Amino acid sequence: MAAAGGRTPFGELVRRHASAVRALLRRMGADPALADDLAQDAFLSAFEQISDFRGDGTFQAWVKRIAARLYVKRWRRDGRADAMARAAEGEGDREVVGAADRIDLDDALRALPDAERMCVTLCYGAGLSHAEAALALNTPLGTVKSHVKRGLDKLRRRLAPGREFGDVEKAHG
Amino acid sequence: MAELAFDAVLDRMFADVPAFADADTFARRVEERLDRGWTARRLVIGGLGLIGGLIGGAQILGSGLLARLGEFTDRSDRVVSALLANLLPSDLVPRGVPFDGEILWMAAGLAAVAVGFAITRAIREF
Repeated sequence: MAAAGGRTPFGELVRRHASAVRALLRRMGADPALADDLAQDAFLSAFEQISDFRGDGTFQAWVKRIAARLYVKRWRRDGRADAMARAAEGEGDREVVGAADRIDLDDALRALPDAERMCVTLCYGAGLSHAEAALALNTPLGTVKSHVKRGLDKLRRRLAPGREFGDVEKAHG
Repeated sequence: MAELAFDAVLDRMFADVPAFADADTFARRVEERLDRGWTARRLVIGGLGLIGGLIGGAQILGSGLLARLGEFTDRSDRVVSALLANLLPSDLVPRGVPFDGEILWMAAGLAAVAVGFAITRAIREF
């Protein structure tokens, strides 16, 4: 019904999916005010382009991709894309919590360098492929892949130090 | 193997969305911005329509179309009156009723409006 341009059903979609979009933008590194502004822009943009939504994925995934691209645009405009180069030269991690503590995803993401955080959240949070992330960031594909790999290694160490994930996979079939 | 398992764990962690206390306020803000957009569009469309109407009206007045229409209705009035005089005995036409060309044109106009309403209603219903 929202695809027909109705505003009330669209408001319902906003209520249902806004938290996921806002959370994604904060995880990407946006401060709460900017995250909310961009999330609003993403929903308005989705409303304008609703006829382009082909339904081959979920609506939430589609809006998250729109929001992620809006944030990347802002990130690049603010000159923070330089972080990609700095990270390649070996930018250090941020200290958020003690290494021995078990921390949640948001804290673990905050501890990553900007470039790794951006690449990991684009690929895992917004569901972009490595190639799509490279295109959005205007960065070579190999750079994105290495940032994702380094970011994942650090997340793995921080989120569950010493945990064997092979067991988790078996447990979930 | 372990990497694939961690991917799955990470996917689940990203899918786990925290609840926002101001979720309703946020949704209302989006709806308000949508409404503002619609209001702005209505104003722009209405404004452009008004300007277009004024320009069109000025063109019609400037081209003397109304004078030509007046002449045309006068001629048709004479033709209709002559026709009626031939067809109907003068006793059948009620006195004081302006049964002439202008009335016919007005009736035709009203009929066209009625047909328009009927068509739009039919389109809405079916």
